Amino acid sequence: MASAALRDTRRRIRSVEAIKKITRAMELIAASRIPKAVARVNASKPYTAKLIEVIETVGGASSADATHMLLEQRPVNTVGVVVVAADRGLAGAYSSNIIRMAEQAIIEQRQAGRDIVLYTVGKTAQSYFRYRNYRIERAWLGVTDTPGYGDARSIARTIMEAYASEEIDEVQAFYTQFRSAITQVPTQFRLLPIVPPEATGERPVVNYEYEPSPAEILDRLLPRYVEATVFNMLLEASASEHSARRRAMKAATDNAEELIRHLTVQANRARQAEITTAITEIVGGAEALAESGS
Amino acid sequence: MAKTFHVDVVSPEETVWSGEATFLIARTTEGEIGILADHEPVMAALQTGAVVIDSEEGGRTTIGVHGGFLQVLDNRVTLLTDRATLAEGGREEAARAAQELASQVGEDEEPETGGEPG
Repeated sequence: MASAALRDTRRRIRSVEAIKKITRAMELIAASRIPKAVARVNASKPYTAKLIEVIETVGGASSADATHMLLEQRPVNTVGVVVVAADRGLAGAYSSNIIRMAEQAIIEQRQAGRDIVLYTVGKTAQSYFRYRNYRIERAWLGVTDTPGYGDARSIARTIMEAYASEEIDEVQAFYTQFRSAITQVPTQFRLLPIVPPEATGERPVVNYEYEPSPAEILDRLLPRYVEATVFNMLLEASASEHSARRRAMKAATDNAEELIRHLTVQANRARQAEITTAITEIVGGAEALAESGS
Repeated sequence: MAKTFHVDVVSPEETVWSGEATFLIARTTEGEIGILADHEPVMAALQTGAVVIDSEEGGRTTIGVHGGFLQVLDNRVTLLTDRATLAEGGREEAARAAQELASQVGEDEEPETGGEPG
């Protein structure tokens, strides 16, 4: 009959094994999503690259009247803040890193006497800021797993509308940049007003035939540039999230294994101690019998 | 063999079509435009509609597109579309596919949101 201590230890081993199976499964699921997310990041690159190229050429051609609303800088009284974090937890420090970075920036902006309008993507960001009594202007949920272009469009339009109506004078975005499966960097950048893409080297001036006018083309190009930038941001954040989750779940699985090893040793010791006690008792009993019999 | 030019049809999510072509038709805001090799540089805004590409190998590809731009420069044609799908079965089918894309865009303009004042 096993002792209470031994039974306890064995029960703990079983429960840790069950947890390990779950974390292992989550690790594999996250791992299977990384390549897909990375492929989507890469697939979206030709569009953005082309768009930038076109903006450069058109911007150059219509330089006389290139003062588009989205390019125009004005004194900053209110800052729009966009935070992209995960919908679900269990991704290690992925969400908290980017949220903390954003909150730090918000505090600094407030100290500088500016107002904040907060936009969140992902449930973790929403609940973090709501719990701390920040007013969230708008929150998007359920987009971070596999972001679609429609999601990016919705976010970009909301922000651009607020910018156009001068509710906000600047937009700072916070997301986790995907460098590789191992490195993801929490990043801040200014989404609006648009920083005109840096001209890459000398471009020969081309006399395009414009249909309609350059100004109108620019008018259509810039919102798309913002949309594409937001889309790229969502895709990178998604790839980062899956990588972070895989890593966190791998660590959890490793820890479970470690714990199982430790508990198994403990269980063996308890069993050995029981056997030793039993033998001592038998030997003691036998000796007592032998003594009384002689 | 007719002279060819390079065509890229890209949407934000992927490169839809890429290759050498001999002839291309697209719908811009000003009307239809047909492009052969050595066309002068053009920058145009696209309308919802069909794009027809006659590829180098002689096949004809039709693509439904919604919104975007057409750039022609040095025998390279780039279609930056908001949305695009390859459509089999000719221009009518492609035009229909384009209309469908346009209506889809209308739908996911407002995805479910949880915006609530804190």
